[in-house]
Amino acid sequence: MMHRLFLPGTALFWIAVLVLWAAVRWLPPAVERPPVAAERRLPIDEVARHASPENCWMAIDLAVYDVSRYLPEHPSRSGIVEPWCGKEATEAYRTKMKGRPHSPEADELLARYRIGTLARP
Amino acid sequence: MHRPRSLAIPLISTTLVGLTVLWAFPEGLGFWRSVAIVSGWAGCGLLVASLLLMIREARLAAWLGGLESMYRWHHRLGVSAYLVLLVHPLALAAAGWAESPALAWAMLAPWQQGWPVWLGWAALLCLMTGLALALSPAMPYARWRGLHNLLALAIVLSLGHLLLLGLDYLLLWSPLLALTFILWRFLRADFGLAAHPYIVARVDHPSAEVVEVRLQPLARPLAARSGQFVLAAFLDGSGFHGCGEYHPYTISGIAPGGEIALDIKALGDCTSHLQAIVPGVAVRIEGPFGDFLGDPPAGPQLWLAGGIGITPFLGVLRSGPLRYPARLVYLHRNDTDAAFRDELAALATAEPRLALHVVACGDRLPDLAAVLPAATALAGHDCYVCGPPGLLTAAVRILQQRGVRPAHIHFEHFDFR
Repeated sequence: MMHRLFLPGTALFWIAVLVLWAAVRWLPPAVERPPVAAERRLPIDEVARHASPENCWMAIDLAVYDVSRYLPEHPSRSGIVEPWCGKEATEAYRTKMKGRPHSPEADELLARYRIGTLARP
Repeated sequence: MHRPRSLAIPLISTTLVGLTVLWAFPEGLGFWRSVAIVSGWAGCGLLVASLLLMIREARLAAWLGGLESMYRWHHRLGVSAYLVLLVHPLALAAAGWAESPALAWAMLAPWQQGWPVWLGWAALLCLMTGLALALSPAMPYARWRGLHNLLALAIVLSLGHLLLLGLDYLLLWSPLLALTFILWRFLRADFGLAAHPYIVARVDHPSAEVVEVRLQPLARPLAARSGQFVLAAFLDGSGFHGCGEYHPYTISGIAPGGEIALDIKALGDCTSHLQAIVPGVAVRIEGPFGDFLGDPPAGPQLWLAGGIGITPFLGVLRSGPLRYPARLVYLHRNDTDAAFRDELAALATAEPRLALHVVACGDRLPDLAAVLPAATALAGHDCYVCGPPGLLTAAVRILQQRGVRPAHIHFEHFDFR
């Protein structure tokens, strides 16, 4: 019984992968959101006030991100990411493990949580 | 099979999958991301359960209802794990789809990812290829065994996938347990640490394509009884070079000093080569396994043997007087193929409780409807069948048609792929 499920299961998997690839290739891209006219400028002191997992801001590459909603979804264990809440985390973001940067997909995901730019002191 | 033992494997599997999923169950995440996490860990739990059943230990096999049952569940759980793990990357992509199709594709496309995802993909592809090959019945045994190792590689790669994702150390108990089971199997069974050393003491040829070897223990003998089976690997000695592969053979006789007799029919490359075996060859024995004919219920019995399937019945007859009346139907092709016919005739003369019917079938399939007793003559009998798969299927069907309940029909498939 289980042996007979191997082929249809494998075929369905590759069909789903192919459908996704075709959708990305041929579906029209999502409409870009209009750029924000003037971003909030947030000093590092303000970022530091959001240093808990439930209220977690981080400064990465001179931008500020509110990652509170994303934190539970991050694949690493909480002890790796949470210490960077309320801090300048550019280096940690670029060297997540063994000196490797995050993937382009992670960059795209991070952009969705941007709330302003880091104000220089 | 006893009811409590038949429930042991499903209970252990449910516990392993349940514990793994419970430990890693996500809270507060979106639906598809939760599905991805649960499918990943459920697949991991199923793999651990499947690998536990790959361990070849006599006590474990006796506790879990026999090696055949373990291997049957090993296959079921392995394929289930694979199917559940296929959901894992697709659910991750589905979680990204809400944001954009491009993000969904980025979750799957390896060139947009790093080592954690590359290892995940490599593990899944190894599992896919390994299973496709493992489920190929036509592949020669030696190549099949070698390629089966792809499945072990999949486990190692998936452990790397989890480690590089930076998952909580507590969550790693499940893949580490899987790795432990693989090492246990390799070292104890394949490498032979659990095997008993024996030596070939005597060789006979009861028919043109069957060799009988009598094996003398070099250390503590197996605590076995006739009718059980062992896994034996024939090594080198006295100018003979064995193939070293473990194959199952029924014990067809046990002498007081622990000497055991095995009968080997030329069915493949290794067993054909063994027809030329000589005394003095070293043998590694694992087991004993199985409980065919082990503890029969009180009452008359029907024994149906096809070809080399005579060995468990021969073993019981050689071990002493019968406790209950038995009618033995022995099917063979022709005179040169009929191993042990003379010995069986002598045993039947000396054993008043045995009724022997030797039937030569030629090269055709036997007419079982004519050979097997009528429904009235089968009343109250326990039926034991041993022979090739086609004979088993046909005999079980006819016996059931003649009113024998499944609980009273006993057989072993002897298929360990």
